Amino acid sequence: MAPFVNLWEYVVDRWDKLSLQVWLHTSEVVQATLLATVIGVGIGIAVYRSPAGSAVATALASAVLTIPSFALLGLLIPVLGLGVAPSMTVLVLYGLLPIVRNTIVGLSGVNPAVVDAARGIGMSRFSVLTKIELALAWPAILAGMRVATQMLMGIAVVVAYAKGPGLGSEVFSGLTRAGSANATNQALAGTLGVVVLALVLDGIYLLINRYTTPRGIRD
Amino acid sequence: MTTTLELSTESSSRRAERIRLLAQPAVVLILVAGVLVWAFSQDLDATDRETLNGPSLLQMLYEHMLITVLVSALVVVIAVPLGVLLTRPGWRRLAPLFIGIANIGQAAPALGVLVLFFLATGAEGGLWVVVLPLAFYSLLPVLRNTMVGLQEVDPALIDAGRGIGMSAGAVLARIELPLAVPMILAGLRTSLVLAVGTATFAAFVDAGGFGVLIDTGYKLNRLPVLLTGAVLAVALALMVDWLGAVAERYLGPKGLR
Repeated sequence: MAPFVNLWEYVVDRWDKLSLQVWLHTSEVVQATLLATVIGVGIGIAVYRSPAGSAVATALASAVLTIPSFALLGLLIPVLGLGVAPSMTVLVLYGLLPIVRNTIVGLSGVNPAVVDAARGIGMSRFSVLTKIELALAWPAILAGMRVATQMLMGIAVVVAYAKGPGLGSEVFSGLTRAGSANATNQALAGTLGVVVLALVLDGIYLLINRYTTPRGIRD
Repeated sequence: MTTTLELSTESSSRRAERIRLLAQPAVVLILVAGVLVWAFSQDLDATDRETLNGPSLLQMLYEHMLITVLVSALVVVIAVPLGVLLTRPGWRRLAPLFIGIANIGQAAPALGVLVLFFLATGAEGGLWVVVLPLAFYSLLPVLRNTMVGLQEVDPALIDAGRGIGMSAGAVLARIELPLAVPMILAGLRTSLVLAVGTATFAAFVDAGGFGVLIDTGYKLNRLPVLLTGAVLAVALALMVDWLGAVAERYLGPKGLR
């Protein structure tokens, strides 16, 4: 139990700094997820009617996911410098796949008869998309956002390498200060902090899912 | 609605798979050739040449591949038997426990797990300091897919096997496992991609790989070194993923293709 007692003391002692990093980590991941959602849903809407377009978008997005995050960060540092710009770019790119894929799945899963009926009662193409198709695809899109957030929690640790914000900087200080008294505490605080944050955000997603799913398609 | 949902996803992702199967090797070739030609045509000074030369690039490729192969081998050796065990009657009750542990392993940031293991083993670094935590991190996809693959085998087939006098072991080896192979291979591909990507972190604990180039290039502000490392790591990851895709396609039982 000894290291955990130390960890507790460490966390209490540095709470000012740690709480800021927790906040920055959360804010970074949430903002990246929202941006990836805007872009990903846009791409999904653009391609879901064409099977070839859907296949190309899915192939590209899943290929991006294969790229090691540390390598992508390395590629972006010369172009975007250090700090927020390369970090956000990396996070948004990785967040795209689950959201694009789920948007395509959700939109192409909408029953064509429902769309026809909506057109038949005189709704415009745009209101069919926003009021019918996107509403019905929403649970799938939200599930994609949830997967993206979980993944970005871990990737946000890596981007701290390029002076990005968040709990990753604790992990990296622990690494560079190996051997010093607080190295393990720093790495533990960073790692466990991310696990706890991921669990909390996952719970929030469950709540959002409960309250934003259209009443007609709730389980 | 459920049926159309599944059908459309499957066709869209199957076409996406086909595109990647054809395009990925070409992209890898272009990336590797492009970055090597570019880097070696730069005005490299002595410091750059210390890392950017044929033998040391091959050495890093070897280290990166070795880590990836060892992690994946360890994952298969642990996850497949564990998956088999946890689907046998009597052991099934333990399944949530192990899946839970593996879930935590994957929810924790890979880099954090690696750094913690490095510090816990006395900050010495080395091959196994990378391989063990990354294997723990990459375990879940194969474990989950082995269990799902075995659970999805039609019970009538198992009954038929037992009915013609096969022992439980023979049913497992000749019916259940072959039918679960496609799922296991899909999980293995995911684990391979996780392993080859996180192997870039080996540079942080003195275990080599292409991450060394990225780290050196960044810290010494050497653009050719940084970009060569990053592009080669990307190319290797795409290549490993492609090999996983080929294995998924051609190693499954013939009857299921």
